[in-house]
Amino acid sequence: MASGTQAHSPAVEHEQTGQEHDAHEHGHFGPEMWVIPERAGLVAEVNEKQRTTPGIWRWVFIVGGALTALGIVGFVIKALSDGFSNHQAWGFYVAAFAFVFTLTASAPLAACAFRFTKSHWRRPLSRIAEIFSLVSLVNILLFIPALIVLPDIGVMTESGEQMVRRSIWFQELTNPWGWLLAGMIGLSLCSVAILWLAAMPDMAQSRQYVSGFRASLYARLAGGWYGTKRQWQIQKGGLAILGALYFMMVVFVQFLVVSDFAMAMIPGWKDSILPPFYTVISFQGGLAAILLVAYAMRRWGGYREYIGHAPFWAASKVLLGLTLLHTYHLFAFFITYWYGRLEVEQAILNYLMFDSYLGIFWAQLFFTFFIPFPILVSNHARREGWGAPLAAVFIIIGLMLWHIRIFAAAFAAAPAAEGGLYYLPSDAFSFPALLLPPPKATFPGTADIFMILGGVGIVLLVFRIGMMLLPPLSLWEMKEGAMYQKVDTLIRGRYLVLGKPE
Amino acid sequence: MQEGKVLPAAQINRDLLRSILETPQWFWPVVSLLGLIVLAAAVTIGVMINTGLGITGLNYKVVWGFFITNFVFWIGISHAGVMLSAILRLAKAEWRRPATRAAEVLTIFSLMTAMIMPIIHTGRPWRILYWAFPYDFARGIWPNIRTPLVWDPSAILTYLTSSTLFVLIALVPDFAVLRDRTTGWPRLVYTLLAMGWEGNPRQWKLQIIAGVLLSALILPVFVSVHSIVSWDFGMAVAIKSWHSTVFAPYFVVGAVHSGVSAVVFAMILLRWAYGWQDYIRHEHIDALGRLLIVVATGWFYFLVMEIIFGIYGLEGDELAVRALQFLPGDHGVAYNVWMIIFVGITYFLPVILWLPKAWRRNLWIMSAACISVNVGMWLERYLLFVPGQANKQFQTFTWNDYLPQWPEALIVGATFAFVSMLMLLFSRVFPLVPLYDIKEGDILKTEIKVGRRTVPATFRED
Repeated sequence: MASGTQAHSPAVEHEQTGQEHDAHEHGHFGPEMWVIPERAGLVAEVNEKQRTTPGIWRWVFIVGGALTALGIVGFVIKALSDGFSNHQAWGFYVAAFAFVFTLTASAPLAACAFRFTKSHWRRPLSRIAEIFSLVSLVNILLFIPALIVLPDIGVMTESGEQMVRRSIWFQELTNPWGWLLAGMIGLSLCSVAILWLAAMPDMAQSRQYVSGFRASLYARLAGGWYGTKRQWQIQKGGLAILGALYFMMVVFVQFLVVSDFAMAMIPGWKDSILPPFYTVISFQGGLAAILLVAYAMRRWGGYREYIGHAPFWAASKVLLGLTLLHTYHLFAFFITYWYGRLEVEQAILNYLMFDSYLGIFWAQLFFTFFIPFPILVSNHARREGWGAPLAAVFIIIGLMLWHIRIFAAAFAAAPAAEGGLYYLPSDAFSFPALLLPPPKATFPGTADIFMILGGVGIVLLVFRIGMMLLPPLSLWEMKEGAMYQKVDTLIRGRYLVLGKPE
Repeated sequence: MQEGKVLPAAQINRDLLRSILETPQWFWPVVSLLGLIVLAAAVTIGVMINTGLGITGLNYKVVWGFFITNFVFWIGISHAGVMLSAILRLAKAEWRRPATRAAEVLTIFSLMTAMIMPIIHTGRPWRILYWAFPYDFARGIWPNIRTPLVWDPSAILTYLTSSTLFVLIALVPDFAVLRDRTTGWPRLVYTLLAMGWEGNPRQWKLQIIAGVLLSALILPVFVSVHSIVSWDFGMAVAIKSWHSTVFAPYFVVGAVHSGVSAVVFAMILLRWAYGWQDYIRHEHIDALGRLLIVVATGWFYFLVMEIIFGIYGLEGDELAVRALQFLPGDHGVAYNVWMIIFVGITYFLPVILWLPKAWRRNLWIMSAACISVNVGMWLERYLLFVPGQANKQFQTFTWNDYLPQWPEALIVGATFAFVSMLMLLFSRVFPLVPLYDIKEGDILKTEIKVGRRTVPATFRED
């Protein structure tokens, strides 16, 4: 069966031979499903593309910068008007931070996970996923104000210090901000280490094509890379180990963020599915963000010949699975609370879903499920390449609404600790009264809107800077992919053949 | 290089139909022994129905013991079929091929076994009819359709029906091969089952479309079954430690963990018993081992969430149950020791055994790890359900404990014999490794030359 047939781009063959035309017409595989272009000058071409920036990327930079500036203005206004002692004023800031964190922390994981599963179609998406690691450095900065406004677990009373709310830190009465910050820093450093290790061969290859700051950066970061067998082994082994470590860290830090900044803030909310639910949401958001960037690069960014339809076709199935998992987790939470009929749980459902935040809940559900689901189940939409990015837009909007509904609502629900306890930890029966009637929904002020837009802006800005600094495509993976694919004949048809080395 | 060699179709037929066309010497003695165990259990069930559930260890407070634990365990095992067959088929994982049929059949037999458990647990099985046929319209005694105990049979029967259909559709091409190789009444039966299969392009196309469609349609059923089983417990607010929102995904992932482990062990046994070394190869067991590491870690994460948020509430009666589960003390039954054993043998031991590639390819080690997972998963259900019912909370006069007696131990043990016996009998009449799937895999298998190396490769349609 094996043959030494040279790999050819079927797009080229399609134009050249009638035989290929027949094969495509008979539906064996279409030229759009070809994954990796076979190009000798890939490194030079990509570096040239980076140098001659299309207009869209300038706009991304400008808009990202402007929105970031707006966010900083909003933050300053909020700090001056409300200070940091009133946590209720900071709900939308925390929602904006959590939204950025959700999208960007899981994106690098996609590169690791699909590399682990040896998914051939991942190759054009890997670097896009990894560049999100740079945004995670900003997450550390964004996290600090959120830590400052997080109310204490205990308060000082006449009889001594006393616990005032539930917490995953149990007997601790002060906020373990040190642990939370250490988790966030560890996560960010790990993701940057993944980016550095994955980009090292590309930086080494690109040294001869760049000048100025990039040349000095590449020399510093990849100066010792010669592509020896041992170096490749260390690089691949390192990526596997860092990927596994990153996976565990991201799940752990997400557990900390959603437990401390959402669940623990709402009196009586005890919900063991929330951390896994948040992780699923994060994976969904991360993949959606990657697909959106990949589509922009393909459609407007000049990378059409490197990013085919195949990554969208395959990744959209994963996005469909994550969308279904999102809804499944939401339903599992809802049905357990709703059926249990406990007063405290009904109050939480009313607050988050059916009363105070009813409108935003339904809007979020439409954006995260009812609209993307039919798009993602459509073979046509997936195959054409526009289905997944379109679904991704809705999903990202929906996830922003989810974060507002959960985090802003959580900060608004936690009563201010005015000289005493606001809810007791040791008696379940004291909880219901505290959310009855459910508090009204809070709406963002001008400063809040600025901060939310700033969250979006900083992602755009830092991602664009990352694209300017590093090759936006994983060149070594693209070259590797080209070696592991060919078109071959099976019975009467021409098919794509994919190699999977151990 | 490819690990397995491409075999001629005639040899594949000969090798994989050997279990049907020839009877190994060990076959009937083993089936008879298993049958005797099942018979003993059937007699015990009869005695139990005649005498009442008093002969078991069940009592006021702990009303759900071994039988319900076993019910959930077998439902869990049934999740292997869809996981290996439907999900891996949709994911185009080539290494799934030899495992799919055994997994699908195990799904059916474990579902059948699971359904027996709540029926005998009722003590008066005939009263189950009242669920289907309400006996007192005048006084408004109707089945409560709003309870998960009613959703349960609906979900399980749907899963059983769809799984059976799934197996039958996949079996049609193999029935045709058997039809052409048998004589007399077996030929008549296989002819009926083959439904006129000739292997023409249209039939293949329909068969493939049906397989893909069923794979996609069965997925929601697969998830819903164990979710609904979990809600039997999760909806019960009165028993502390049960009312947890994470139960549904936790149960589903746990089911996949135990089910896939069971399939791996079954495959190793089949390879040994029927000499299928060319079909169930080390690479398949290795791939399943890697899958299991991921599944086990996901399951462990859900377990940790369940425990953390059990304690998180700091509610007195919930803490009492957690103390019973985790802390040493004068509780009667040492649940904390069992808890340590359970976590050790369900996660830490098997994952350590699965990590090195050489160990994943060692069939003895893989067997030990997979048995360990299943013993652990059985214990998991027991330790999840029983301590909460023991009610060792504020009011000491309602305390109780559960000590299983010989009838339920025998019946539970016999369910393993029952499933093994059914699997063996199935292998006597139908191929347990899908012939056409193996042949298709061989056709799609190829190699690519990369520099001086030859890399295994596969033809892909998309």
